[in-house]
Amino acid sequence: MNAPPAAVAVVFGGPSPEHDVSILTGLQVARTLAGAGREVFGLYWSKTGGWYRLPAGLEAADFLDGVPSAAEELRLSVGGAAGSSGFAERGGRLGRNRPVEIEVAVNCCHGGPGEDGSLQAVFDLAGINYTGPGVAGAALGMDKLAFAGLVVDAGLPALARRLLGPSTSDPGFPGPYILKPRFGGSSLGIDVVADIGTAVARLEANSHLRQGAVIEPYRPDLFDLNIAVRLWPAPALSAIERPLRSTASAEILGYADKYVGAEGMASAPRELPARLAAPLAEAIRSAALEIARLACVRGVARIDFLSDGQSWFVNEVNTVPGSLARYLWVEPPVSFLELIDALLDEARQRPTWRPNAMGADGSVLRGAGGIAGKLG
Amino acid sequence: MTALRFAAVAGSGLAMALAGLRWLRVAQREHYLAGAAGRFAWRWWSEGPLAIGGVALALAGVGLAWPWPGAGLATAVVVGAGPPGLGLRGRTAPLAWTRRLRTLAALVTGLELIGLATAVLAGVGPVLAAALALAVPLLVDLGCAITGPFERAAAQGHVNRAAERLRRVAPTVVAITGSYGKTGTKTYLAHLLSGSRSVLASPASFNNRAGLARAVNENLVEGTEVFVAEMGTYGPGEIAELCSWLVPDIAVITAIGPVHLERFGSEQQIVEAKAEILEKAGRAVLNVGDPRLEALAQSGEQRGQKVRRVRPLLPGDGPDLAAGLVAVRDDLDGLTLFIDGAEQARLAPGPHPANLACAVGVALELGIPVEEIVRRVGQLPPVPHRLEPLTADGGFLVLDDTYNANPSGARAALQALKRSGPTTGRRVVVTPGMVELGARQAEENALFGQAAALVADELVVVGLTNRRALLRGARTAAAGDRQRPFDVVVVRDRSEAVAWVRAHLGPDDTVLYENDLPDHYP
Repeated sequence: MNAPPAAVAVVFGGPSPEHDVSILTGLQVARTLAGAGREVFGLYWSKTGGWYRLPAGLEAADFLDGVPSAAEELRLSVGGAAGSSGFAERGGRLGRNRPVEIEVAVNCCHGGPGEDGSLQAVFDLAGINYTGPGVAGAALGMDKLAFAGLVVDAGLPALARRLLGPSTSDPGFPGPYILKPRFGGSSLGIDVVADIGTAVARLEANSHLRQGAVIEPYRPDLFDLNIAVRLWPAPALSAIERPLRSTASAEILGYADKYVGAEGMASAPRELPARLAAPLAEAIRSAALEIARLACVRGVARIDFLSDGQSWFVNEVNTVPGSLARYLWVEPPVSFLELIDALLDEARQRPTWRPNAMGADGSVLRGAGGIAGKLG
Repeated sequence: MTALRFAAVAGSGLAMALAGLRWLRVAQREHYLAGAAGRFAWRWWSEGPLAIGGVALALAGVGLAWPWPGAGLATAVVVGAGPPGLGLRGRTAPLAWTRRLRTLAALVTGLELIGLATAVLAGVGPVLAAALALAVPLLVDLGCAITGPFERAAAQGHVNRAAERLRRVAPTVVAITGSYGKTGTKTYLAHLLSGSRSVLASPASFNNRAGLARAVNENLVEGTEVFVAEMGTYGPGEIAELCSWLVPDIAVITAIGPVHLERFGSEQQIVEAKAEILEKAGRAVLNVGDPRLEALAQSGEQRGQKVRRVRPLLPGDGPDLAAGLVAVRDDLDGLTLFIDGAEQARLAPGPHPANLACAVGVALELGIPVEEIVRRVGQLPPVPHRLEPLTADGGFLVLDDTYNANPSGARAALQALKRSGPTTGRRVVVTPGMVELGARQAEENALFGQAAALVADELVVVGLTNRRALLRGARTAAAGDRQRPFDVVVVRDRSEAVAWVRAHLGPDDTVLYENDLPDHYP
């Protein structure tokens, strides 16, 4: 019996605060591809780490009570004999697992593993071709401190951002401050504090900051400006968006502002394209392209800036943005199918990983003698 | 066997199939508790002249089938048609063909077929077939009683997996129970913690053994520091069983009230069932506004349990100065939060004082600094369907309190209605009344009808379940010296009520939807 033809798998969910948003992104992508007659299936990663193949046509509500009842459990394995890596289902001959062939995996996992390089690493090792950032690009985008360092080193403007530790007494700029988890793609755990003493106390009390925290000047006068960028098939930029804060009292654009709308940010209040002075818009566009190259962008990334209308600062990069930032591509318009097709094409043409064992030809081993001799 | 006898038996068989669908759905809605289908059958067949007439005809059919087999067909027709208003498939909650339901359906069908075959072989086909058709709710109950133990055993695998996951992730477990206020307390607590801890709250509808096991298996992500579990109970021993594998570090009892009274028998038994949550917990947070919970606090302390007392205060009450006490005072125009007798924050009206006090008590137990609590307490999220204010397309304000099923919550909802909307607008209460209050159900609903009449301009009574009691209460109030005109509208079901509201309300008006009953209630 021949294996079924390889299909595109849309991967979403995952143990992340943005698990639910990822479901919305994934369902949109799967629906768009299926609507165009492509061979596609949903590959759901549950919050507790299980993998499931989904039937077509599911709605967001089917995930309200957890794993949809029609989902079929798969196994993901790495290594072993040739051909045994990757996804497999039960039901092969003699009780063996049957491989599930995946041509390309469309990564729609936001905010946690999937946007931080860990899922990418497993896919690389399992030989699965996928869209979006590779290990390095994803990990860099998830590390606010490393990303800011890269930006400043390239001579681009950014607000001061320092590592906050229990013994930090002066970050080098005056308060009020904003504290953020160093790693993490959502606005969970963000705190605004008046002075450095409170900041250090929060470090103790706020477990979201336990894996590392960065401190920045709190600048309520600045607003957000977002732009999407891709490098394949050719470098291209979306329109610039200015998200609007839904409540006057909201101190920063919060998780609810970003995601409570039904389609990621598609229905959040915003100005698109943002009405900006031409020099500001141009500066942001050219910075976005430069960052895309610096930060190893693959797929579509959304780069967030801060501005007061005159000056501007690079804030962060989202390497797997909500809805894959499809709503930003209005000028010139790019359809969602076109966008996804470019991602698939890039995944086929631009591999993320090239294992290389050149030079490991045994000569070192032959000349080494006994291990005990090396220790002595 | 004559053709008539055959027709009578076959007709009863068909009626059984239809009645089976109907009462299986009721059993499913009532969590497969043995006895529920019979209780609901009694309720449906005793409401309204049409139902009572129908059941009288069906009983007569059984009796008369002995001399005249054809009479059994009358029973079959009545049973097949069902009590007026109880649909076959249901609108609010259609029958879901889960594995458990399929098993039960097969068993019930088997019981019916055995009954029919026995009847025919014994030569009493038409009589016994008609009687069996009428007794389908009892057969469904019998099926639930038989399958119950097997279902529990089958669910054990999920429970074992959940227990294993809990050991691995090792979160601090906060278990919340109470006759009401569980979901509100859980929602507030999750909000107070979420800025500083990774917290998982169990979904509201997952508050039993199977549901909590599923919540753990599907949602307890590695790294979760606090798991807030809502524990419901329908009878003694249930919470103790939950706590045997989901061991609380902190146990919370929000309130005791006459909820599910007809399953428990007395409020004392409710107290005992809820107190099971305290047995294994090192720490307890108790709403000592209720003297019965103060008694539990004292016995807990005697056992060496660390108890955090919390309580709601009434307008004008001074702050309670007991050390460690968390109190939330309802000032009508807002709330005041006291910790250790010191005022910490003032909030806009809306949050439920006792639930907020419980949530703050737990947050303190978890080591959240007071400043952080005070900071977050100002932005509490609305609890869905618990007095959640929404603006309808017609421009009127909707207070959605449809998940509220207890007398004290209903009174608080009327206060909220009184505060809401401009004084010039009309205020309307839409309610099917409250259920599961045992012997107190009629009285509590009459009191609610009376209180509603004093606040609202119109009362829309939905369905038959509590119609008489609500109308009686509303009339008592209307007979008093009311300043404003007051009207009562009676509708058959929820969709009729919604249509009435849409047709009659406009901007400036406010409607309170108080409780909602699924359509397996008359």
